[in-house]
Amino acid sequence: MRVLEKTRLDGKVAIVTGAGRGLGREMALALADAGADIVAAARTQTQIDETAHLVRVKGRRCITVQTDVTNPGSVNRMVEATFAEFERIDILVNNAGGTTRGWNKPLENITDEQWHDGVSLNITSAFYCCRAVLPRMIQQGGGKIINVTSGLGVRASRYNFMYSTAKAGMINFTRALAMNYADKNIQATLILPGIFPHDDPQMMAFWQGGKFIPIGRPGKDNELGPACVFLASDLSNYMNGELIALEGGGLAGGEVPTGFAPVVPLPDGGQS
Amino acid sequence: MSREQFSLHGKVALVVGASTALGQAAAIALAEAGTDVAVATTLPTLLETEAVNACAHTIRTLQRQGFAKAIDTTSESEVAALVQQTVSELGRLDILVNALDLPFAKPLPEVSLAEWQRVLAVNLTGVYLTCRAASAPMLAQQAGRIINIVSVLGERGMANGSAYCAAQAGVLNLTRALSLEWARNGVTVNAIGAGWTDGMGMIANEQIKQQLARYIPNKRLAQPHEISDAVVYLASDATGFITGQVIWIEGGVLSRL
Repeated sequence: MRVLEKTRLDGKVAIVTGAGRGLGREMALALADAGADIVAAARTQTQIDETAHLVRVKGRRCITVQTDVTNPGSVNRMVEATFAEFERIDILVNNAGGTTRGWNKPLENITDEQWHDGVSLNITSAFYCCRAVLPRMIQQGGGKIINVTSGLGVRASRYNFMYSTAKAGMINFTRALAMNYADKNIQATLILPGIFPHDDPQMMAFWQGGKFIPIGRPGKDNELGPACVFLASDLSNYMNGELIALEGGGLAGGEVPTGFAPVVPLPDGGQS
Repeated sequence: MSREQFSLHGKVALVVGASTALGQAAAIALAEAGTDVAVATTLPTLLETEAVNACAHTIRTLQRQGFAKAIDTTSESEVAALVQQTVSELGRLDILVNALDLPFAKPLPEVSLAEWQRVLAVNLTGVYLTCRAASAPMLAQQAGRIINIVSVLGERGMANGSAYCAAQAGVLNLTRALSLEWARNGVTVNAIGAGWTDGMGMIANEQIKQQLARYIPNKRLAQPHEISDAVVYLASDATGFITGQVIWIEGGVLSRL
């Protein structure tokens, strides 16, 4: 098959959690562009209704399932609804997550409940979704699981404990999935998105236009979608347990604030 | 829609080390995706020369322009001439793929200084030379994609593989450093970390291949096209926010203990 034909997802069904806005909506729309039918899941019905409308405009089918990914019963119902409508599940994007109460506090002030809430939303949710979906994928003979991590899954930031811990956990959870289900033709991979302000002027201002990012700008939504399509498609069938980071170069450096070393000549002028 | 996002029509690529299984697959995948492609050897041996000539022929049967050149990639002047010829014959240079690969394994006490220097020269210094030469047209147009194909041995060690492992790891961190240097110039520098792939030089015989297949979670080696599919993705306009990264395509082998 020619390389560009492998980008197509026609006939495939994708569940995207957190599909009501932001990165989740963007990935759902990109998968639909590539030909997949979509299950849009999130807590807020009005937001997934809007996503579903945008998917249907592209000529793809879409159902919405109001879902609380921290509730295993709710997650199981999401998967049952998917199977009832489409009779298959090819792609699961574990995108739901975010900061929770207890964020931006020193560790000693975080309550038990706040800790568990943060970990539950950002990593236990992926366990619930994978547990519900894997039997279907195994039965079908394969599938793709795409987990969303963060720069905070590999580096730390001030007063950001539960999110960082869970997102780091997501990386090794993905390796464990890859390791254990590779022989079932299931590939588990990760997307690590940097800063994506989604053309929102307030977010753009908050992130200072991305001037601290090595490439000098934040990510564009139309850069995130193709990464998701790459990981969901036959283009990445030998990629397993590994990640694609879209973050403008920040992770490549981090030793010096500017990314540049001063010019240091050799003591002998380079003569040998 | 998705086809257009990954399409490379109108772009020009240079694949160095196109005589290897991975380099050849990359060159052909790029041509399929719409680029014109220049291909070059790692070293100007008869075998490599025939391989790149065949590769250029395939590129032209795909209705793309291209030429083959037998060069020694450790030669500063030959690499510079190759980049110049690419720009003069194909009009520009948008994508550089380094698939340089000189396989080598020996217990360290038996590795001569000459062997060590040779392995470093081909696997690492060659990448420095091609990146430096390609940077001129890329920085001038403030756009470019550099894709270095490395081995999993750049990330993990292997007994008797010291020189090769050191060189591959060198390419990985060269990739990160250059990505920062050219971050504001529209030139992204990334690596593809290739797992054990059919046709790779480091796989000495069939027995080792079978042992590897049992060890790899995916229970098989990669086919070259599975690596080159990612070359096409990284070469596309959709990856402007990815730089200094390695995309590992290794069938889960880095995930296991």
